[in-house]
This record gives sequence, structure tokens and C-alpha cells, in this order.
Amino acid sequence: MTFRQARWDEPLLWELRPPPEETGAVPALPGIPERMRRRRAARWPELTELEVVRHYTRLSQMNFGIDTSPYPLGSCTMKYNPKVSEQLARRPGAAQLHPAQPESTVQGALEILWRLERALGRITGFPEVSLQPAAGAHGEYAAMLMIRAYFRDRGELERRTEVLLPDTAHGTNPASATMAGFTTREIPSKDGCVDLAALRAAVSDRTAAFMLTNPNTAGLFEPEIVEIAATVHDAGGLLYYDGANLNAILGITHPGRMGFDVAHLNLHKTFATPHGGGGPGAGVLAAGERLAPYLPVPRLVKEGRTFRWEYDRPRSIGKIKAAYGSFGLDLRALVFILLHGEEGLKHVARRSVLNSNYVGKRLGELLPRPFRPLVKHEFLLSGAPLKARGLRTLDLAKRLLDEGVHAPTIYFPSLVEESLMIELPESESRRELDGFVAAFSRALGDSDANLRSAPHALAVGRVDEVAAARHLLLSWKDLRARGEVPAGPAPPSDGSGKA
Amino acid sequence: MARFIPSEPGEEEGLLRELGISSTEELFRDVPQKVRLGRLGVGAALEEREVVALLDRLLAKNRPFTKDPAFLGGRIPIRFLPAAVDAILQRSEFYTSYTPYQPEASQGMLQALFEFQSLWVELTGLDAANASLYDGATAAGEALLLCHRIRPGRRFLVPSSLPWEEKSVLANYATGPGVRVEEIPFDPATGRLDLEAVRAEVKRGDVCGLLADLPNGFGVVDEGLPELKGILGDLPLVVSADPLALTVLEPPGAWGADVVIGEGQGFGMPPSYGGPLLGLFACRSEHLRMTPGRIVGATRDAEGRRAFSLTLQTREQHIRRSRATSNICTNESLLALAFVAYASVVGPRGLAELAQRLNERARTLASALAEVPGLRAPAFDAPYLWEFAVAVADGNAEAFLERVRRGRVLGGSPLSDPRPGAPAGLGGLFLTAATEYTDERAIRKYARLARGAVRASPGGAA
Repeated sequence: MTFRQARWDEPLLWELRPPPEETGAVPALPGIPERMRRRRAARWPELTELEVVRHYTRLSQMNFGIDTSPYPLGSCTMKYNPKVSEQLARRPGAAQLHPAQPESTVQGALEILWRLERALGRITGFPEVSLQPAAGAHGEYAAMLMIRAYFRDRGELERRTEVLLPDTAHGTNPASATMAGFTTREIPSKDGCVDLAALRAAVSDRTAAFMLTNPNTAGLFEPEIVEIAATVHDAGGLLYYDGANLNAILGITHPGRMGFDVAHLNLHKTFATPHGGGGPGAGVLAAGERLAPYLPVPRLVKEGRTFRWEYDRPRSIGKIKAAYGSFGLDLRALVFILLHGEEGLKHVARRSVLNSNYVGKRLGELLPRPFRPLVKHEFLLSGAPLKARGLRTLDLAKRLLDEGVHAPTIYFPSLVEESLMIELPESESRRELDGFVAAFSRALGDSDANLRSAPHALAVGRVDEVAAARHLLLSWKDLRARGEVPAGPAPPSDGSGKA
Repeated sequence: MARFIPSEPGEEEGLLRELGISSTEELFRDVPQKVRLGRLGVGAALEEREVVALLDRLLAKNRPFTKDPAFLGGRIPIRFLPAAVDAILQRSEFYTSYTPYQPEASQGMLQALFEFQSLWVELTGLDAANASLYDGATAAGEALLLCHRIRPGRRFLVPSSLPWEEKSVLANYATGPGVRVEEIPFDPATGRLDLEAVRAEVKRGDVCGLLADLPNGFGVVDEGLPELKGILGDLPLVVSADPLALTVLEPPGAWGADVVIGEGQGFGMPPSYGGPLLGLFACRSEHLRMTPGRIVGATRDAEGRRAFSLTLQTREQHIRRSRATSNICTNESLLALAFVAYASVVGPRGLAELAQRLNERARTLASALAEVPGLRAPAFDAPYLWEFAVAVADGNAEAFLERVRRGRVLGGSPLSDPRPGAPAGLGGLFLTAATEYTDERAIRKYARLARGAVRASPGGAA
């Protein structure tokens, strides 16, 4: 292996230049009562700008990003984030706008949001779109609240308390439904897809909704989607689309055409807004006619050539987030759509599906692939054969990091033993795909000892996550109070000076 | 576009050949014809140069708040951002990374998040913080759910002065467990929470917790808040706090808060018309296992080095599914980095000075507006930091602010709920804020326009 990550043993900010042990009271502010004044100033260090910049530059060098390496996390759609979006989102006309500004001073921003809503309406096949949710799971949750409000208006809420979902559903689905006050029930899969017979047996007049992602988390397109929709609707339930995997079907089909009633999208997946190390994301709600009246307020409306916020939506669930959406990210998503256009978006779907089938075929020669081979945006492998070597999928994932590529999603979905879920979106070229396959093959072919002890080429060796949960050290204060864990290697135990 | 999807001649054909097929169309043969689409109708692709031209044309229709005096705040302050903060955020190893599921590959972001947690713990006086939630309003929602887990009552108390957006978000988060969000009135003279009313509601029972904000929706620093814990007893107390305020005010953890949440965008991020934002969340150790969101912990690697990883993941949706403490997955990590980078670049002294300066300017602003007949500024006789409510005599804050705006001053934001049929309780009030851009000239201009605006109101003060 030739890859080596920087290893800085970078101290915490508080260790760069420790703040004084005792801080005094902060200066009094006129009018602020003495009892409210901070008696001891908060402690963090005074540093020069260079010290801060150097600290975070070093930390950044101990982090994988799409810009450094392929990032094949399944269901995360780690595609390239065009740089022009970063530049445009920082323009004063975008960044220096306050949400309380009058509509007349933000017409351009409203038009950007409007254009994005219209484009996403066409992409999803739904008449109304709201950009309010903060992330995908937040969109799911809002949709569940809308479904609740819908059944309450129809007088059916007492009865319709159950949300159905496949056993392959993203974990956010059951969590969102529960948070909205529903009970959940999993429908077993058959050959990686919804078992229609099981769904038919499960739906009833208690069914509020069926939550489905298509293509699903096994990377398979649900071929019986039309029958699934009919089954749910015939039982009086609604069909919810989890848009995490939309990348594979852009312009090929859409939730509206497939018979869904409401959808969420992740702008940070399909529409290339950067993931930011775990966020910000940006969620979208798109709704058909039955649920559109329940979308959160405000709604953006166009009158002549003017845009304004509309609050007069008596059936709306109200607000789910302080501001309307995440304008900085919405702008980036619109830029992505503009750069690609109709043909480009369809090409996104075709190429991401091509990439995943190609890599799936190549890696399928190395590890078992469950279910049928034709996949969409992602595919699954089983690391079960590693068990014969006394190894686990986790070991393979860690060893992959040593190749300078990120590991796939592992241990999800759980219906495949020791699963790996791999997605390499449209922005990865054949050269990168072949490089990933070669890295995977090298990792798998390495010695048991190397796999078990991997990684070796990163800023740290294998991290003890069990200890992290057992002895909770969650802040600098904890480190000081409950046993310091110093930066750098542990002191040598044999006096050799070598850790 | 070729730059974003590889299109070297023959590349796709080669991949197709490997798969033994001749066209990508065959990859979609499992999608039933019945659901296939023709055209989407999203238009043709533009060159990057054309996209920039189009976006610049649209952005030119906006008027950035730096162009005119702007007295806007609420939970989203207007701050000057040192260039170093954005330079750190533009390290693409940070902003193009995903949630640090593989800690060995993500030590940089994990350490930054650990530092962010450390700083929020330091500011709040509580035991532990998570690695962020979506925004201050949803953090309030998650805090409500935590309270309900701690004490399963069906009533959650909030000040009636809380911004209507937050009340609305809270009402949504309360739906699932069947909790009612009930409002506690404020003292009409001081804008402070009516502690007697809190006492009475607690006595009535079935309460799962109370949220108070610092400063409150009127900008008031309510010196009654430290008495709340005594009234609530073992009922959980949530405080929603402005992080800059916590550099100068006694931390809520020191006077009994069990959870401290807040909106953190003001530390390191521009307002960007409202997003992305940063939800702050800290709590006591004993409640940690019931809390939402990602948490970063320190541990060791196989060689005994210090290392960081996500921890307590068994609370989370990807493991616990329907029994998770929250559905949150994606959070606001990059903004958490911005938060701690901003606090580090500006430094503790710099922030204390900023707080002093903003407070001074707010007092100058209040004196200037107080002299305008027809305005009551501040509307409440109570301490404030850099924001305060103003009462408009004719009860129409919107119209007043619009008249001021015509003179190119953004005077504040109305406090009323704009939804038809909403109670008109706060109709005559607006919130105004001093910012780093607020100078003597801006204040004079505002006061001059305010006089004209009041005179122009129907039956307004002479």
C-alpha cells in the first residue's frame, strides 16, 4: 500500500495554550442584574489566528472527503460537489440576507427557491413542493405529521395508527413514524424486495401509510410497485416515498408516476450539496393533491412577476423548522440542476446505475452477492465468507481505509449476513472504479493478521469504540476530570521509547 | 456537464461490454413500462459560465443587509465573520466528508466536533453536549421529547413571548407523544415570565417540563429564571439560550437547567436567508442515554493513542429503529465546526468585548427610539443585551416597519403570528437588534425615519 494519511497527534484547542485555571467574573454590563452576571468566565484559549488555522488545517488532513477519495457509502450518494456552488452561495446577495428581511428585498432569493421547487416538482411528479425540512429524516417526520393531520380531518385517525415498512427500510423511517405517534410494523422481504403477499396480508383499516424507498436499500427496483401502490390505496392507506435513493431513477420514473402520495428528497444526496461531515443536509417535501394542503407554512407563491410568502393554509401542519429551508443549500441544488439539465439528470441515473452494476459484477467475483444481479444505484455483498478466516466485514472495511478509499456502509441492511452496501455515483470514472475494485481485492487478499489489525496507514489505528461507550469522555472537561487521555501515543511500557 | 459525469469516448461502452449488454436502457428493464417517463421538462443544461451569469442576475435582485442599516436579529444575528473562519470551512476534507462512521478515516471532523461539544458544555455549565441538531427550534422540539421521556406528563409549558415559529415547531414535536404545549403569560410591564402562573400550572399537575428562553422573545434578560427550578422541583427545565449571551451571563446549568439548547448560526455562519442553521443541545449526565443526536467521545486506538469516535449509538435510529430516541441522522456538523472555529478565532476576550460593544449600541439605539413619539422603546421595563422589543402606539408594527423600509432601513421584525386567525396578542410589537454594523449614523437615520413613519400612521402621534 502506498497511501499514508497525516498523523499529527494534534492536541485539543484547550491543550494548545491552556486557559487559566481560575477565571474571574466577566465585566458588568449596564442594566444586567448582578445575579445574572457570569461569575466565572467560560474557559477556552486565546490563540492567534495562525494557531487556529494551523490547528484546523491539520485536523482536515486527518479526514477523508469526496475530494480526497472515493466514498462508496451505500444510500449516501457521495458524489462530487461542484465548486461553482460554493462560490455562488458565498456571494453577498446570497449569504448576507436575513430571513426577516421584507419580501421586496429578497425577490431574487425567492425566485431561486421558486425555480428549485418547480424543477423538483417535475422531477418528483408532484404538484407542490416545500423546501422547509432540514434533512431527509426531518422530511419523513413532517410527512408523517401531514398524514396524521389528513386522517384526523377524515375522522380516521383513531383507527389508522399503524405505519408499515419493509424490513430493509432505512432506520430513519420507523423512527420518524414512531416520533409522529404511529406504531410501526415491518413487512418481510422476499428476494430483497417487498413480499406482496405479506403486504396484502398486513394492510387493513388500521394502516395509515406504507413507507418505501424505491430502488430499495438492496439496490433493487421494486418491480411490483404498481401492485404495491394499489394494495395500500385499496386499504385506504397512503404511500410514502423515501427519496434517499432517487439518484438511480432521475428522469426514468418518479414517485408521482409510481403512485406515491408524498415524498421526501435529500438535496445533499441526489442534488450534490456537500455533506459537511454529517450535515447540513437539506430535505424536501413533495406532495400529491391529497396531502398538499397539509404542507408546512409558509408556502411560496408567485403573483405576476412577484414572489411572496403565503400563510393562509388552514390545513397546514404549521412550521417544522425556524426558517423556510436552507437557502444556502437550495441555491447549490438549483445550480446542480441547471448544470445538468434534462439530459444530464437522466445521464446521472444511467451512469450511477452503470457504475454500480459494473462494480457489483467485479466484486461479485470476490464475495457473494445476494439477490438478483441487476441493481440500481447500489448493491450488496456479504462478508460472511470472512468468518471462515476468523474475520468480519468490519475488518475488511478497516483494511480498505488503508488503501486510501472510504469503506462502504456495513451491517445494513440486516437481512444480509455481514453485509456491505456499496454506492459509487455517476461522478466516479472507470479509472476510479477499477481502482476501487483493485483496492478491494488487495484488501481481501491480505493476511488475516493485517485485516484484523487494520488500519495502519491512518492518523490513528483501530479505534476502541467499545471503550468510548463504556467510559464516557465527551468533552475537554471530562478528559480533565476523569482521567486524561493524552494526544499522541501512550507512554512506552518497555522503556524502549517506541510506542 | 462533461466535467461532472465522466464521458471519455468509449468509457461507457466499455463498461456496458463488461456487463454483456449494449445499452444503459437494458439496466432499467426492471422498471415497469407503466411507470416510465417521457420528458421531465426541466430545461437544457447550461454552461458553468451561464449558470454564474443567471445566478448573479437573480442575486442582484436581492438587497443584502450590509447595504442598508439593518436592525434584524431574533435567533439569527447579523455578525461580521472573520475570513479565517470561512477559510477553515472551505477545507474540502471537512465539507465533502460524510458522517464519521469510520472513525479512523475521520479523526479531523471527530476532534472538531469534540471541541464543539466541549465549548457548548463550557458555555452552558451542563455535563455533556451532542454534536448538533438541525436548528434552535427543532432542538426545542427534541428537548420537549426528552422531557416527556424523563417525566411523562401531558403538558409542556412555554412562555407566551416565545417566537411563534418556535411555538409552531414545538406543537408539531408534541403531536407524537400527545403532549399539549401550553403558554405561560408574561408580565405586561416587564415582559418577564409570570412565575406565579408557572407555580399554578405546576400545581395543576400533568406537566412534563418547561422551556424558558434567554434572552426571551422580547430580548428580555429575565432575572426570574433562576427561581424556576425551585418552582418546578424535579420537573425538567429547558433553557433556550443565545450562545453569545452565555459568554456574559451565568450559565443556566448553574441555576438548575436540565437541558440547554440554542441557535448557533451566529457563531461562524452568515444568515443565508435562514439556513443552514445550527441546533445546540446540552444536558445532564443522567439523561444522556435518553437524548437525541450524534455524540462524539474520546477513547484510544489499538496503539493507545488518543482517538475519537461516535458513541452511545445504541440510542440512534440506524440501530434502534422504531425505539430510537430520535429519527435524526444528518445533523449540522459543518456548522458545529464553524461554531468552534469562530469562537477560537475571535477568542474569549474578543467575544466578551463584542458582547459589551453590542450592548452599548443597543442602549444608544433604545435611547434614540425612546425619543420618537408613538414608540415605546424598549417596550418592557427590563434588562436586555443587544435586542429589545419596541411597541408601536397604533398597534401596527408591520406598517411602521414598511414605512421605515421605504427609507432604506430594516428596522426589525414583527412579533405577531402571520397566520390568519392567529391571536393578535403581540400585534403592536417588533423586535429590533443592534449589530456590529450598527453605528451612530445608522441609529440617527433610523430615528429620523421612525419619526416620519409614526407621523404617517393613521391617527399616529403628532
